[in-house]
Amino acid sequence: MIASIPSAVRLGVDGRPVRVEVHVANGLPGFTVVGLPDAAVRESRDRVRAAFASTGLPWPRRRITVNLAPSGIRKGGAGLDLPIAVGVLVASGAMAAESVAGHAFVGELGLDGSLRGVPGVLVLADALADFRLVVADEDGPEASLTGGTCLAAPSLTEVVARCTGRRPWPAIAAPDPAGAVAAGGHDHLGDLADVRGQLLARRALEVAATGGHHLLMVGPPGAGKTLLANRLPGILADLDPETSRTVTRIHSAAGETRSTTALVRRPPFRAPHHGLSAVAMIGGGSGGHRPGEIGLAHGGVLFLDELGEFPTAILDALRQPLEDGVVRISRGQGSTTCPARFLLVAAMNPCPCGVGGLPGACRCSPAARARYARRLSGPLLDRFDITLRIDRPAGAELVGRGAEESTSVVAERVAAARERARAREVRSNAELDVSSLDRHAPLDTRAAELLERRMRSGALSARGLHRVRRLARTVADLEGAPPTVGVRHVAEALTLRGSRALMLGEEAR
Amino acid sequence: MTPDDELACAAALVGLGGMTPVRLARLLDGHGPVTAWRAVAAGTHPADRAHRFRAEARTVEPSAVVQRYRAAKSRVLLPGRPGYPPALVGDPGAPAVLSASGDPSVLEARPAVAVVGTRSATRYGVRVASDLGRGLAEAGVVVVSGLASGIDAAAHAGALAAGPGAAPPVAVVGTGLDVVYPRENARLWAQVVDRGAVLSEAALGTPPRPRVFPARNRIIAGLSDVVVVVECHGRGGSLHTVEAAARRSIPVCAVPGAVHSPASVGTNGLLVDGCIPVRDVDDVLVALGMAGGAPTVSVPDHRAHARVDSGPSAPVDRLERVVWEAVGSEPTSIESVLLRTNLSLATLSGTADTLVRRGLLVEGAGWWSRT
Repeated sequence: MIASIPSAVRLGVDGRPVRVEVHVANGLPGFTVVGLPDAAVRESRDRVRAAFASTGLPWPRRRITVNLAPSGIRKGGAGLDLPIAVGVLVASGAMAAESVAGHAFVGELGLDGSLRGVPGVLVLADALADFRLVVADEDGPEASLTGGTCLAAPSLTEVVARCTGRRPWPAIAAPDPAGAVAAGGHDHLGDLADVRGQLLARRALEVAATGGHHLLMVGPPGAGKTLLANRLPGILADLDPETSRTVTRIHSAAGETRSTTALVRRPPFRAPHHGLSAVAMIGGGSGGHRPGEIGLAHGGVLFLDELGEFPTAILDALRQPLEDGVVRISRGQGSTTCPARFLLVAAMNPCPCGVGGLPGACRCSPAARARYARRLSGPLLDRFDITLRIDRPAGAELVGRGAEESTSVVAERVAAARERARAREVRSNAELDVSSLDRHAPLDTRAAELLERRMRSGALSARGLHRVRRLARTVADLEGAPPTVGVRHVAEALTLRGSRALMLGEEAR
Repeated sequence: MTPDDELACAAALVGLGGMTPVRLARLLDGHGPVTAWRAVAAGTHPADRAHRFRAEARTVEPSAVVQRYRAAKSRVLLPGRPGYPPALVGDPGAPAVLSASGDPSVLEARPAVAVVGTRSATRYGVRVASDLGRGLAEAGVVVVSGLASGIDAAAHAGALAAGPGAAPPVAVVGTGLDVVYPRENARLWAQVVDRGAVLSEAALGTPPRPRVFPARNRIIAGLSDVVVVVECHGRGGSLHTVEAAARRSIPVCAVPGAVHSPASVGTNGLLVDGCIPVRDVDDVLVALGMAGGAPTVSVPDHRAHARVDSGPSAPVDRLERVVWEAVGSEPTSIESVLLRTNLSLATLSGTADTLVRRGLLVEGAGWWSRT
């Protein structure tokens, strides 16, 4: 007898449909799996057999061959346990083929026959949208986010009982995929009202959130760089429905949604440690191109603390995704793309001694400072529209200051400014292309004069000019979005842009 | 045994690997360079019983070494021979062999003042060092410094900016005379060679190594009649110079700085310890005994300062005034100005830009200061 059960495996952020073909024939009893299974799939033989034994289901004492089609792609993960088990039951005649017609199966089996969830079930469900998908109970809500028909069961015996009609399928407490509430939020990251002073940094965060401008904070240890970066996602607007779906898929594919039963609505915040590998940052690896940190940060914030400590190769690998908004991963198993459009926020010390800043304060030799600065490639540093210096708050100047604005107040301003910017039909001002700058961000006479003066003095390059103009557009959006960008907006943009010297902690003479 | 042989052998000794000022002084203590060189090569020198230098000495031809000095447009100076700075004769730490580019005789019959300080100087320090360098050179005083970045470079640049007839500057460097360090001072280095002299006790080709600079500082102190520290941190190379000067009973002057400025911690500390405060070149000349010590608190000076505060170049616009006052007299970060004025960043940036354009403020990397 032969059975063919639909299932799927994950590659990158996509599901690939797989047919699990089971052939049971006379011959020496045996159990082989062919069709490029990886170690987890080969081990599924033992799990499936144990599950049969402990639940009392009949195990055919014959020769069993499992083929995973198409045989050309490598299959990984334990999600094929359930389709293999169902295939064995059908092929051995213990279950009627009609009872599983139109069904697809994804799930891992325990030795006692219980059914466990698998990471990335959302993307697998997407690939199996044409079928009635049977998954583990814990995967039910996530799989049903696709809007397709989804069935959930706690164990292999229940799957058999429900498929054969002996017991009914209970309804899944499915969240409404469109109106799901914010989950995996980051209220724990703190409120802006807790930050005392830091007026410049607050403003920079607001501008960065409004225009999608990458932000670099330079300052000594303990100045509050991490504290501030943590508060950035709070002032970002909710994800739009399309991005929300993409982000949920990516997080599902990476196995990061196990406790989540709804679409991710809030922008993610990723803060990887600088000890991570290139694969962990970019994505890939033998485990089916798991999305990396930049994929997981899609739609949200990627925060790189201690930027200077990250290996140069990893930082340079960020440049292409920063440009294209997607990352392409090509490995032996094939090539996948993963969306990776994120707001890059980085923090670093100005120099090895960490003091830098005001003239005369730093004790590093010029050579040591230059060496430190060389660790970051110019092209990467160029991506930061905003560079600012963060200092430890000066106690005396904070005395008598009331509480600062809270996250919700700033978030409202950001949302209002983004609303005004929507007419420009780009995701954010940071993506305005050079040719449309004159149309969307025309300069008034004094603003043009100011920029020209900076360019003549050599303080501003041609590329820097475009970045300052985009930044000025965002500043103007926050001030009610006048059609023309004024001198005050340009002046603020120039201040926010900072200078390369900030990173070197040196005095510009 | 010609004088040339002596210079050649001395240069060859300096160039041996592992040579330090102390070892060199021991090798040449009581021996002429030629005798010492032959003894080292033969392995019979009482100060080189371990034969540390013997193997290398046998492979070196002194005349070839001196040839290299000539190619580098420099010469070897020995105590008691022409060119060796008279101030170092009898100095307890006098280098047994010096090399010089330019004309070392400029040190003869002229007073010399060391102007030294930190490499990470503030604008204030750079300005004071440059003013002192220029004023001293114009008064006929040789400015001695180390050609490092920051204060040293500013002092040399000031001395070079003095008009014709001014005293030439002299630099004492820690590297070999053919190794220009830091490279950004290459032009300054060439100008000092041109007008005055650059001295070094290191062999040609010696790279910048941390230990050569404190040793160099004792020569700076030894050459000078007065040492002026313009700016220095709590710890630093300038304090080596001060220590060396104190050991030789050479007067040490210090330029006062803001008590909050990290670059003035060392100098302010020196003043507390009793060093002579220096405001301008006249104060240094008094310390040198070259000026009468007339009262230097001059009333017009104060008026001049008052004029800066309310004169025609001061900000007139109310907003400009608020910003200018918030910046204060020291470099102030953008954050501090924001906190002090409560202005929006756009307003502050625009106003500050106007002030910069009118020459009232200077913009740095993340800070402003008054000019």
